[in-house]
Amino acid sequence: MIHAPLSRRALLARAAAAVPLLMAAPALLRAQPSSTVNMAGDFYIPVRPRPKPDASPLLDEEQVNTLERTLACPCPCTLDIYTCRTTDVTCTNSPAIHRDVVLMVNGGYAADEIVAELTNVYGERILMAPTKSGFNLVAWFLPFVAIGTGGLAIATLLRTWRRNAIEAAAMRADGTVRPIRAHGTDEELARLDAALRDDSR
Amino acid sequence: MTLVGELSLWVAILMAAWTTTVSWAGAYQRRPDLVFSGERAMYATFAFTLVASLGLWYALFTHDFSLRFVSSYTSRNLPSVYTFTAFWAGQAGSMLFWTLILAMYGALAVFLNRKNLREMMPWVTGTLGLVTLFFLLTTAFGANPFERLDWVPVDGRGMNPQLQNPGMAIHPPMLYLGYVATAIPFAFAIGALVTRQLDGEWLGAVRRWSLLSWFFLTIGIALGMWWAYVELGWSGYWAWDPVENSSALPWFTGTAFLHSIMIQEKRGMLKKWNVTLVVLTFLLSILGTFITRSGVIESVHAFAQSNVGAWFLGFLIAATILTTILVSTRLKDMEAKAELESMVSREAAFLYNNLVLVGIAFTTLWGTLFPILSEWVQGEKITVGIPFFNSVNTPLGLLLLALTGIGPLIAWRRASTANLKRQFATPVAVGVASVVVLLALGMRHFYAIVFYGLAAFVATTITQEFVKGIGARRRMYSEGLFAASTRLVIRNRRRYGGYIVHFGVVVMFAAFAGMFFKKDYAEVELKQGETYAATDPWGDTWTFTSQGMSRYKTLNREVTAITLETARNGKPMGYMVAEKRQHFDATGATTFEPSTEVAINEMAKQDVYVFFSGLLDAETAVLHIHFNPLVVWVWMGGFIMAFGGIIVMWPQAQARERGYVAELAPQHEGALAGAGA
Repeated sequence: MIHAPLSRRALLARAAAAVPLLMAAPALLRAQPSSTVNMAGDFYIPVRPRPKPDASPLLDEEQVNTLERTLACPCPCTLDIYTCRTTDVTCTNSPAIHRDVVLMVNGGYAADEIVAELTNVYGERILMAPTKSGFNLVAWFLPFVAIGTGGLAIATLLRTWRRNAIEAAAMRADGTVRPIRAHGTDEELARLDAALRDDSR
Repeated sequence: MTLVGELSLWVAILMAAWTTTVSWAGAYQRRPDLVFSGERAMYATFAFTLVASLGLWYALFTHDFSLRFVSSYTSRNLPSVYTFTAFWAGQAGSMLFWTLILAMYGALAVFLNRKNLREMMPWVTGTLGLVTLFFLLTTAFGANPFERLDWVPVDGRGMNPQLQNPGMAIHPPMLYLGYVATAIPFAFAIGALVTRQLDGEWLGAVRRWSLLSWFFLTIGIALGMWWAYVELGWSGYWAWDPVENSSALPWFTGTAFLHSIMIQEKRGMLKKWNVTLVVLTFLLSILGTFITRSGVIESVHAFAQSNVGAWFLGFLIAATILTTILVSTRLKDMEAKAELESMVSREAAFLYNNLVLVGIAFTTLWGTLFPILSEWVQGEKITVGIPFFNSVNTPLGLLLLALTGIGPLIAWRRASTANLKRQFATPVAVGVASVVVLLALGMRHFYAIVFYGLAAFVATTITQEFVKGIGARRRMYSEGLFAASTRLVIRNRRRYGGYIVHFGVVVMFAAFAGMFFKKDYAEVELKQGETYAATDPWGDTWTFTSQGMSRYKTLNREVTAITLETARNGKPMGYMVAEKRQHFDATGATTFEPSTEVAINEMAKQDVYVFFSGLLDAETAVLHIHFNPLVVWVWMGGFIMAFGGIIVMWPQAQARERGYVAELAPQHEGALAGAGA
């Protein structure tokens, strides 16, 4: 597709059309929604699958607590279910989800089955960390890729600097470049060298 | 007075606009009269912002509830100290407080450099004026603390009980002092870029401000951790919450800069990188402000009302574009023919230190913003919480700890094998021995073992440096141990102050690792006279005997308290009192949800932490008991780091330099001249 060059008139017309937008900007800025933070809000959705036949609990209390540490409270506290329900007395969500978890444990569900049931209803936001699959893999790997790339860049940079030093030394050796000589006795020059290398300055 | 304050805010806007306009015009046209006027306008901006702030404080103390801000965050029965701190308890007041600090810093930076860097300073002044202008405009139009209500309530809503804590009174100012100080190096960077004076001169002015920023951020973050620990009741101090992360981001890049600046000072290298770090640190502090105040990311710490987010986003985008253009057009001016004699040198160690610090900052930012990204890409907001950050940042933290010990021991330019052996033999031996001892004692937690092994290694490197330095002074000057120790530090403040900071880091990391062993006892039900027994991570048995509950009213709250008599292995360990509080206003109406005050028995080995969850019935209390190992050392580590920071910052360099040159000059004038010194 070939675009015709924009005429001056067309440009002015577009600029004029943009003016109302610019004038409306402050209003748009003011119209920003207020924060969604609402710790006492109701984000709970019941998750109560049928108990398995002849069910007996597969998890003890400690294992339930550990499982709940991997589940995020849907309120904006950013805490896990265990920590939230044992801390935030105003949150109604984490105790409710805890009750569902206990019901599923008593219904014979294993930890991964409980996680699957909750994820089906709440989505992956119920997990405290992204899953290691699909797009979420980016979350886990990008930091290491970035740091690895940075490490390689530094190694390359250091090699370049090292090569510069070798070239400079070679040029000094064959007389291409004469180093500036400081005048003084050996002792004075040694003190000067120490002063220049002094870390504390 | 309130009206005077409100008017002053508008005058301050004019003054800040004038500062920028005439400073830049003066710099461009090389007119000293305009430059002078710009400097005076910066002082005036500060003066009017101060008057505006005093006006707000006056309104707070006179309970002028016609102001929305005053009625939203105070009440007549709020203790005076919290009436004072209410200034920064809400969005609007904290914006003005931020602006006050910025204007103060700006005026101070202009005053301190009134005779230095004459070509650069007008650009610096203008940039500071512009940043101040942005904050003043955002305060006036986005979150104005002088906004009036249509009617005047009898009493205000009061302050959130969780903010009625000494930590919260000091933590925000410290954090703001740190955040805002990043604007000064940024302004100098802009000045240096515009005037193309990118050699060492501007770094001298920048280094102290960067240190100041680092110092206050360190204190602010540590106090924030302490507040979260004692106030939120979840028995931890760092949850990788977006707002917590925001405070850490500029700290990481600022710390990286304080290391890389040494390479430029010593070797004239890394000019581009240093400018980038200065700019990045400032932009991250603005990004942190945007995250905290926009409501774009959910957080327990975020400000509730947030219509200033778009302002900050706009500023962030504009500042990023402008600085990118400036940096990219000045790349040639920052080129230096860098040489490195050896790959094993302090320069290399510092570069890797920078990589890890910036890597941690990147990971933290990435994890903080990933929920937004996932929502854009997948249509679902993914939670990125503690497990993610701990998994990714713990190995990086270990690497950083190792580099803390390795870097200072490697010589500049080139480290010989003999030098490496001499420097590292003892620390490595101590580190390995520590690991063996911990394994023999039964410790099996991988990360904890590595943390303590590295902590022992780094602590030994630092001790070794002190022992060598003190020994040298004692031999050379026949000084006593105390005199040699103090003079060693006083005469080499940057170096040994830095070691003290590193020691603080070691202490803090060791304390962090202690939490791998924390033990929790949830939902403990106790009636009066009943006893609960629990085993701590050290294997000791603790008993908690309820002495019953008490209820009483105090100034602005009704308190329900449970008293526990505690004992360790049968030995009395004192009483612990945990509270639930219901606040009310001057009319007796309840305000806010009930809050809690945890009971903490703080010891060197561990904290015993009791959270009063609620009442099952009139007599039965529900408690959560936690044993948190080594927590007190987190605060000690923060204190040591801040102390080291003070030593590094303490002004002495010029005097010492003069003395040093004076001492050297008579005999070595020729040598110095010959070297081009």
